[in-house]
Amino acid sequence: MRKIFNFIWVRNRTSLTLLGFLILWQLVVTVFRIREFILPSPLSAILHLFFRQPDANYHWIKNISATLFEILIGFTVTVLLGIMIAVIVSWSQLSRRFFIPLFIFVNSLPIVAIAPIILLWLGYGIYTNVLIAFLVSFFPMVINTTTGLNKVDEDLLDLVRYHRGSKWQVLIKIRFPNSLPYIFSGLKICSTMCVVGVIVGEFVASDKGLGYIIINSQFTLDTPPIFAALIVIAVMGLGLFGLVSLLERIIIPWHGSVNG
Amino acid sequence: MPNTPLISIRGLKKIFTTLTGEKIEALENIALDIYPGEFVSIVGPSGCGKTTLLKILAGLVQKDGGEIKVDKESFDPTREVGFVFQKPLLLDWRKVIDNVLLPIEILKINRASMFGRAQELLELVGLKGFEKAYPNELSGGMQQRVSIARALIHDPKLMLMDEPFGALDALTRERMNLELLRIWREAKKTVLFVTHGIAEAIFLSDRVAVLSARPSTVVTALDIHLSRPRTLNVRTSPEFGKLSMKVYDSLEMV
Repeated sequence: MRKIFNFIWVRNRTSLTLLGFLILWQLVVTVFRIREFILPSPLSAILHLFFRQPDANYHWIKNISATLFEILIGFTVTVLLGIMIAVIVSWSQLSRRFFIPLFIFVNSLPIVAIAPIILLWLGYGIYTNVLIAFLVSFFPMVINTTTGLNKVDEDLLDLVRYHRGSKWQVLIKIRFPNSLPYIFSGLKICSTMCVVGVIVGEFVASDKGLGYIIINSQFTLDTPPIFAALIVIAVMGLGLFGLVSLLERIIIPWHGSVNG
Repeated sequence: MPNTPLISIRGLKKIFTTLTGEKIEALENIALDIYPGEFVSIVGPSGCGKTTLLKILAGLVQKDGGEIKVDKESFDPTREVGFVFQKPLLLDWRKVIDNVLLPIEILKINRASMFGRAQELLELVGLKGFEKAYPNELSGGMQQRVSIARALIHDPKLMLMDEPFGALDALTRERMNLELLRIWREAKKTVLFVTHGIAEAIFLSDRVAVLSARPSTVVTALDIHLSRPRTLNVRTSPEFGKLSMKVYDSLEMV
């Protein structure tokens, strides 16, 4: 019996922990009779997702897919641009001196404070939210990738140099593959930050998405859909993180982080 | 032995500048001829510039004087040098076979045409069946064998070996010495081998060049007339002892 329990536990640690948390939450709400507009039970929140409420229609499918789409676009854009910027930054000392202070400056700006300006420029919609997601999450992506590109055993470079290999070959054969573990740790940070960025964007201005539901429900003290949205957001973050971890196993099986 | 050296080094000089601006003369005046097919070892005290000498020959470090003449008709130093470093320096993300093929990619030679050769070389260094393994699945000795196969893949005339077995335990090292002699015999290369081990140098070489401490010069180049193929027995022979004493003598350790 104990063995079976152990086996199930080891296999599903993450999901079981999550389930335990939900059960605890449900118990707390039921036992202490907490009022729904303060803290709804997870069951009530989840039921909101699947059953149409008499007093309001939240258009879950439309709103979830809007947010999901923005997250995926934001993530893809951030990853591609982040890696490209990192390659440029690591290419020469000069570009490093120019770009890194600029990035630190941009990254230190509170995103909530510049979001209204972005809205002013780009208006409602996906461009604004993707840009905000990018601004929130590009920094760890760029810094991680740059570190990986530069943190190469100098002797490995001799391997290419003594054959008179080009700087480009050094990048493709040595620096880039060397940076993959760093890129993946950047991707993991980026995957959750992107979700945050998109939701912040939807908070500031939007006519759809989970952030929009949260803001609207807050005005009407309609708490269950807020928690329903939070649960969906968390699941999206987890899903994206899981996807990155899966890709990591496939793409860099040689690296220690995969089994660790 | 042919009369034209593959490489002829005269008056080679190298000066390093430290971070504080101090100038250190590593190589003062190196003169050495290396003939085709020869196995030449370089021994000398720590920090005497043995590695620097190899790196200059490989074009990884610039010389500060003197000349290196190569027999241009038979030898292209930009494509026909194979370097075995102190560390195996394998790329973790490449399987063994892809590590061996790295120079092929850098020299822009058709990869598919060399695949068979890579497999043969892995067999030569005793790693048949490990083509698909990743470097961190191999022991230190096996990793260094991979790096030897990699240094041979583009069929270089000259092999530069920088203490390749220095990091291995004594037993593995002896085994690798025997393996190296076999590989050298079968692959018919010219080898310039840097080592700290005097016995290792004598055991392997046709000639042992002894470098002085910094600023270094070639104190002596000792011919080793021990018969080949050599086995570990040769180490206990009186000639071997005499040769060792000569080397110790020129290192001023006696």
